[in-house]
Amino acid sequence: MTYKRIIPIFLLKGNRLVKGTRFGDFVDVGDPLSQAMIYDAQGADEIIIVDIDASGNKRLINTDIINAMIHKCRLPISAGGGIKTIEDARKCFGAGADKIIINTSAALNPSLIKHLADEFGSQSVVVSVDVKKSRTGNYDVYIYSGRQKAALDIMEHISRVIDYGAGEVIVTSIDKEGTLTGFDYEIYNKLKNITKVPLIASGGAGKYDDMVKLFKETDCDACAVGKMLFLRDYDIVKFKSYLKGRKIPVRDA
Amino acid sequence: MKIGIVNNGLGNVGSVHSAFEFYKYDVILANNPKDLDASDVIVLAGVGNFKTAAAKLRQLQFWNKLGEEVIVKKKPLLGICLGMQLFADVSFEGGENKGLGWIKGRVVKIEGDLVKVPHIGWDEVKPMDEILFKGMRYNSFYFMHSYHFIPEDKSVIKAVTQYGDLEIVSAVRKDNIVGVQFHPEKSQGDGLRLLRNFLEMSK
Repeated sequence: MTYKRIIPIFLLKGNRLVKGTRFGDFVDVGDPLSQAMIYDAQGADEIIIVDIDASGNKRLINTDIINAMIHKCRLPISAGGGIKTIEDARKCFGAGADKIIINTSAALNPSLIKHLADEFGSQSVVVSVDVKKSRTGNYDVYIYSGRQKAALDIMEHISRVIDYGAGEVIVTSIDKEGTLTGFDYEIYNKLKNITKVPLIASGGAGKYDDMVKLFKETDCDACAVGKMLFLRDYDIVKFKSYLKGRKIPVRDA
Repeated sequence: MKIGIVNNGLGNVGSVHSAFEFYKYDVILANNPKDLDASDVIVLAGVGNFKTAAAKLRQLQFWNKLGEEVIVKKKPLLGICLGMQLFADVSFEGGENKGLGWIKGRVVKIEGDLVKVPHIGWDEVKPMDEILFKGMRYNSFYFMHSYHFIPEDKSVIKAVTQYGDLEIVSAVRKDNIVGVQFHPEKSQGDGLRLLRNFLEMSK
């Protein structure tokens, strides 16, 4: 059985990592390379790094940072931020990214996902979707790091990108992000029947039992963790030992 | 010992390169087929699409050169992920495409009622080769693939991985040719150890 993955999620602003609450109020949480080495040593299953200003500023994530990470770490790295073309993606892969993450461009230009999957294979193309629950209880899709609402139905959007070849989907709840109040379990259960590809939950992890609940009650394959690691007294070793005790299949490292 | 890594432009040789450098080995990033002349062992790594990869290897003249170095001169070869799949006779990724044909068998899409495709993440590997998997602590490795290799001759199978209701061949070995479906260069301690084992076998 494939192990459930614990993935530190790095938000990049300039050349520094930041962490905020609901996509705002950012504080500095360190240097990407040294943080990556720490979590690699703790046995993280993967690292996600996203430049949260890249799309808005019409530029690509700094691929030198990806390159520095892959030379010092021995775990898979998924990178995103401002990838709009095959050439942008090639730069990220060339720097050593194992997977690329597409968010804004997947919403604005879904056929990009098809071209990327044809060129690089589905297993290397991750689509990221940021969602917010509306007053009517529906989920709206947001782009440009939560700054703009997209005119998309979340179910249609995710089904389409999977049909086009997205190999993994990461769904972040804007309402929960950085709040440490638990995941938005409802959205992951809604997505259960349409995600034939691995699904990563993001936003809200605040205590061990949030992860236990996520893996017991939803079909998610992995969870992204940010504030809990960066600004609270937790580490990957502690996560795994707790999850193991609750019969969640996690990898020894 | 000099390690020649085929740089076929399909990404990700950087990680393989840095993993071998961890052990202070000399690495040659082979952009041209003749760069492989100076190598003692060869690594064929890659992710991506079988059809695209095979076309690129042909276009860059690596296809015949690999045959010369590996089949004629018997240099040890490690194929990683797509690199291993290229050993097959045929793959059905992107239509029906011919492989190197060094290990009889075919590459087919992962299909099963209980599995998500692609197969992504860390999984347990059941080793059937004491030398290649010597000294492993956990035998878990990182996978990312949508297709898998089914060799005809089962004796070449050196590890398997249970994925839902499907048993995936995760390592093969035939004479001087070794292949792994997972990514040792991305698999922390056990991954580095597997690379070292391959080099020690190749001495």
